[in-house]
Amino acid sequence: MDDVPLCRMDELPPNGARGFDPLGEGRDALFIVRRGDTLRAYRNRCPHWPGAPMAWRKDGYLSPDGGHIVCYAHGARFDIDTGDCVQGPCPGQSLQSLPLIRRADGLLLVPRDALDLRTAS
Amino acid sequence: MNIVGLDALVFGVDDVADCARYLIDYGLTPVDVGPEGGRFEGLDGTAILLARRDDPSLPPPLPTASTLRKTIYGVADAATLDAIAAELGRDRAVRWLADGSLETVDDLGFALGFRVTTPRPLSFTAEAANAPGVSAQRPVNALGVDTNAPPPKPRSLSHVVYFVPDVAKAEAFYADRLGFVTTDRFTKVGPFMRPAGCRDHHTLFMIQTPPFLQGCEHFTFHMGGPTEVLAAGRRMVELGYQSFWGPGRHIFGSNWFWYFNSPFGCHVEYDADMDHHDAEWVAREAEAGADSSQVFLFQARELWFPSGPPPAKTA
Repeated sequence: MDDVPLCRMDELPPNGARGFDPLGEGRDALFIVRRGDTLRAYRNRCPHWPGAPMAWRKDGYLSPDGGHIVCYAHGARFDIDTGDCVQGPCPGQSLQSLPLIRRADGLLLVPRDALDLRTAS
Repeated sequence: MNIVGLDALVFGVDDVADCARYLIDYGLTPVDVGPEGGRFEGLDGTAILLARRDDPSLPPPLPTASTLRKTIYGVADAATLDAIAAELGRDRAVRWLADGSLETVDDLGFALGFRVTTPRPLSFTAEAANAPGVSAQRPVNALGVDTNAPPPKPRSLSHVVYFVPDVAKAEAFYADRLGFVTTDRFTKVGPFMRPAGCRDHHTLFMIQTPPFLQGCEHFTFHMGGPTEVLAAGRRMVELGYQSFWGPGRHIFGSNWFWYFNSPFGCHVEYDADMDHHDAEWVAREAEAGADSSQVFLFQARELWFPSGPPPAKTA
């Protein structure tokens, strides 16, 4: 399986989020949250409602203070590190995390087989 | 109760600047807007009122993530205001505010306001369609598409949708205490309701949910027709906002729809061409689902030109 390139580390905001549409599906399939050197990648899919896209605008996945991931469809808030819902409509559920591959040259990739699970969840 | 429709919705948010930008991009007109918020009007003056979450003039928030702080209805005259104050004052606190409006709560805890409404009369035409078999609706040589026209503007605050923990109790409050009429119903989900002074299919729809979800699911302004819904929605997509559901056309209410995510944590919709009803209408009921909630659904894609000569090859 090929790994799918997303971007270089230095193309991410130092403290923020960015969405990606690596398979050209017309909307972001996943997003990365970067805080300094720490990265988390999650599927752009709120566990509260199957298929619900989460951002309110391109790359708008975080709360105004940057402290949580927010689904702007129905207001669910998630812990950035764990993906666990901490407030809102889906308590006890979590975002689906995705593995990231960080190459020595700074390129970030996601395993294609992880992306291809999209229809199974 | 001669309640004529929604007059304004009040939101208290953390990110006033983002929400203000969103409402302006959506097409509302800012009036007296500053860093603390302000008023964002549709063409008839019905509005979204934006304030900071900790603004002490706002009613207390719901104990959920909801940012909706008050729903303000317009009423026909002072006598209606007095009647509402007398009716609701029987079992709850009703305050007269300095601006002459009433403030109270419904039976689920949503803050309500009532004021004598003064919507600006609109003198636009609706979208006109030429069709075989009827006399022409657009004058000869009048164009249906004007690429130089400014973006279409929301005309009037149409409806609000609540997540409620006890939909039967909520429906009874609006029917028995405020004279709302149920026009249609999704079984075990909730009713579409209109106040007595309004013919729109619904100004209020309620959805049964667990208590921790209580709040606003979406709000909507009426547009001038389906073309305006599609044009305004496409513009939102171009501005980078996230489409949630649509464009499509509902069955109950017949309104065209397009919903977007928003920084309010609820959806914001454009609608057009909603059915009107009167006392002769008999409410329908259906199981809620994909087949019963829309007659068709499309999804935006980038503009495309699949004709003409083949694209030039890049070396």
